[in-house]
Order: sequence, then C-alpha cells, then structure tokens
Amino acid sequence: MNPVKVILTLIPFVWTIGMLPFVNTVKPIVFGLPFLAFWLCCTIPIAFICLSILYRMDSKNGQDS
Amino acid sequence: MSNETMALAIIFAFVIGTTIVGMIPGMNKKMSLEEWAVGGRSFGRWLNWFILAGEIYTAFAFLGGSGWAYARGGPTFYILGYGALAYIVGYYVLPAISPIGRKHGLMTQPDLVEHMYDSKWLGVLTAVVGVAFLLPYLQLQLTGLGLIIETCSYGLIPRVPAMLIAFTMVAAFVYLSGLKGVASTAVIKDVVMIVAVVFFGLWLPIHFFGSVGGMFEALDAAKPGFLALPGGTKTLDVSWAMSTLVLTSLGFYMWPHFSANSFSAKNPDVLRHNAIYLPLYQICLIFPMLIGFTALLVLTPALKVPDMAFMTIVQKVFPGWALGLVGGAGALACMIPAADLILSTSMLFTRNVYGRTIGQGSSHETQAKLAKALVLILTAVALALAIYAPSMLVNLLLTGYSGVTQFFPMIVLGLFWKRATKIGAYSGLIVGEFLVFYLVLNKLDPFAIAGLHLNAGFVALVCNFIVFTVVSLVTSTPATIDRKAKALG
Repeated sequence: MNPVKVILTLIPFVWTIGMLPFVNTVKPIVFGLPFLAFWLCCTIPIAFICLSILYRMDSKNGQDS
Repeated sequence: MSNETMALAIIFAFVIGTTIVGMIPGMNKKMSLEEWAVGGRSFGRWLNWFILAGEIYTAFAFLGGSGWAYARGGPTFYILGYGALAYIVGYYVLPAISPIGRKHGLMTQPDLVEHMYDSKWLGVLTAVVGVAFLLPYLQLQLTGLGLIIETCSYGLIPRVPAMLIAFTMVAAFVYLSGLKGVASTAVIKDVVMIVAVVFFGLWLPIHFFGSVGGMFEALDAAKPGFLALPGGTKTLDVSWAMSTLVLTSLGFYMWPHFSANSFSAKNPDVLRHNAIYLPLYQICLIFPMLIGFTALLVLTPALKVPDMAFMTIVQKVFPGWALGLVGGAGALACMIPAADLILSTSMLFTRNVYGRTIGQGSSHETQAKLAKALVLILTAVALALAIYAPSMLVNLLLTGYSGVTQFFPMIVLGLFWKRATKIGAYSGLIVGEFLVFYLVLNKLDPFAIAGLHLNAGFVALVCNFIVFTVVSLVTSTPATIDRKAKALG
C-alpha cells in the first residue's frame, strides 16, 4: 500500500483520538469555542482535505475502470 | 390563533406537505419490492449524497445533541469528531461492498454476510441482531417526534398521545412513499433543518450573551470544567471519549440501513466522491449544542427531560409560529430517518429472516405483503419501547452503536482478509454481542478497568476482534481461502 495514502488515512485519527488527552481543556477559547470543541471541529476540515487528496490519487490510478 | 394551535398547525402542514412530495416519485408506476426498498439501484451522485446525509441528521442531532450539552457538557463534543472519521472508514469499505452487491444481486447487509461466508444461518443471525439494534434507533426517532409534539402543544397533549400521533405520522409516511420518497424529501428536511439549527444556534447565544464566545465564558465561569471531559459526569472522561470515538467511527457504516444505501449507489465512484463532502455537513452538529448550553444558563427551573432543551428554550423566547417552524423542521428530522429505518428493518426481517427460514420459496408478492405489514408491527414495538422504557436519546444511540459495531470484524475483515472463516465470524459475533448485552444490562457501561472508563461496546469489540482473528487463523484451510476469493471476485 502507498505510504502517502496510509499517512493521509491516519492523520485525522491521530488528530481526533490520539491527541485527545492533550487537548482536554476549556481555555483558551478559540473562535468562541472551548478549546476541546475547537480541536474536535478541526477534524472536519482535516478529514475533508485528506479525503480530497486520497480521491484524487485514486481517480488518477483509474480505480473504477 | 393561540400559540399552541399555531405551532401544531405549522407542524402538521410540514408533515402533510412532505408526505405529498414523498408520494410523487412512486405515483406513475407500481413499485416492485426491490424498487420500494433499494430504490432500484439507480441513485446518482447527489441523490445518494442527500439520502446518506438525510439519515445522519436525525432526531438525535436535533434534540439529543442539545440535550447532552445541557445535561453533560464536555462529553457531548465527541459528536463533532466521529462522523468525519467514519467517512474515512466508509471511503474504503463502501466501494468494496458495492460491486459485490451489484454482481451477485445483494440487497441487504445479511445478504452480503451470507454471500461472503457461504452460510445461510450466519446471514439469519446477522439479520436478527441487526433488527434488535435498529429498534432502539427507531425508538429514538419516535421519542424525538413525541417530545416535539408535546412541547409544541404547550403541554396540552401529554406524552403518550403525543407518541401515538408520532406513530401515526411515521407509519402513514412510510406507506405512502417508500425509499424514493425518503430520498426526495430528505432534501427538504436537510434545508429546513440547517436553517433552523444555524439560526437558533447563533441567535440564542448572541441574544443572551452578546456572542457565542461570551456564552461559553459565562458558562465556564458558572460551572468551571463543565466544558471539558468529563464535564457534568463522573465517568465520561478522556478514556471514555477515546474508546467511544473508535467505536462510533468504526460502527457508523455497520448500521444495516447504511449498507442498503451502498447497494443503491450507481458505482463505487459515487460512494468515494460522497465520502469527501459528507464531513463538511458534520459542522452543523455544533449548533444544537450551542442551543443546549444556552438553555442550561437561561432556563430555570432545571428541565426534567434534558432532550427537551432545544424546544423549551425556543418556546420560552419566541412566539408560537417560530416554535411551529422549529417543530416542523424537527418533525421531519425524526420522521424521514424513522421511515428509512422502518423500511430497512422490515426488509431485513422479510428477506433475511422469514425468506431464509420458514418462508423459503415464498413469492415476491407474499414477501412484499409481509414487508408492508411489518412496518406497522415494528413501529408499534418501537412505540411501546418509547412509552415504557424511555431513555435519553444519546444513550439509545450508543446502545445501538455498541451492538451493530460488533459486525465490523466479520464484514470488514471478511472483505479484505482471505483467511476470515465462517466459524471465526460466528465466534467473534457471538462473543461481542453477548458482552454488549451483559455489560449494558448490568449497567457496566462505561466499563471501569485500571483507572480507565471504556465504552462497553469498545470492550466487546476488542474481545470480538481477538476471537475472530484467532479462530479464523485456526480454522482456515486452502479450501476456505479459495472459496472466499471466489465470493469476493
């Protein structure tokens, strides 16, 4: 398996689950959100970016042909 | 018009209007069982996206998210994370399922299990377990709808009659539309729901505290630590959140009704493409939480039913017509997913339990009749559960998750691992489900071990996974590997 794809797949999991013990705090409040909520919200754009790149790589390789 | 008449009139207008829209796709021709339940495998990109999104944003997102924020605080934030992770899992799993389904005419999750392991009874077991855990999810939708009707009548309609009205609305909607109706009305539901949650989620904190940040500052000052883990609870700490995130992100696509959708996609690319954009929708889940937190600061006395936080604060602050609009959006958020759940559950039972056991060789007409009769029976069972065994909406969801996630080793390893065997699948599934029942019924969820508080479903999943792998390794032979490779080809 392509190592770039493995990394792209793992980043959101590490961000959301792996980092959880280090981000469990209310302050600082970022964009009006408690820090924990802000951190977990970031999962959404991160997953979107990682999936977009994965999709591009897979389409180029002609996965569906 | 009085507030309650106004609110209820608007809700019923929403429901009736949507039901009529839902009837349109099925009007021109008589639908076959396959068309009624899998939508004739013809859904393109956007329709498929809406039907997936439509199922995700349910009564739980609308009322349960705000209810948990109100009652528990910090632990609620797990909801923001799991969906995005689940789509990454789905990005790999769904496109692997879809071509097998198309090639071998599979329509349901038990069909897939039966096909992969060449075992009729493993399929039947999967169907029975699936039906058992879809019921709490269905109960969640009916409870939500009941709460909405109760609040919008300003207490004039008590809980039980409110549930009966909810039951009638849902059953009528299912009979009149079918899956195509669910898909086309999901669009309406998503739009009204997003408008409602974004508007109230921003307006309420700004109205009372000047800004969203101001509201959180006030809450942090009033209840220090409430907005981090474990928040207002003792046991829902970091280890609970981590184990719950693993469980829910793996379990997301193990819900039987989600597999039905991967069978209804035109090709694997539709599913992969959907996976990219679905996480973005997830951001809407924060708005109900903002409402729940504002309600906690603003509403006195404290609510007996935290799941009513959203509706109650709107009722206190706004006139009846606004409550009616929220109630209407909420009613659709409960009714449309409920309809989809009922269709999937009745399909599972008819095709994979009845059709494979006592009803073997029964005609399509008989099965279609049974599927339609089951709609009523299933809704009635969920209604009885909602009245006699009420529970907070998020708890219902987590119980269902613990149960369906036990399919994960069997289905996903079954798709990607040649040595997975039938006996391994049986052993893992039985161990996993037994542990889920045992831990949940004995109130051992979360499960305390070595200072950690793990989600019971996660504990069961780990044991399930180990048993599945070890037994598969021991029982696999060149013959089983060969058969497996053919089934997946």
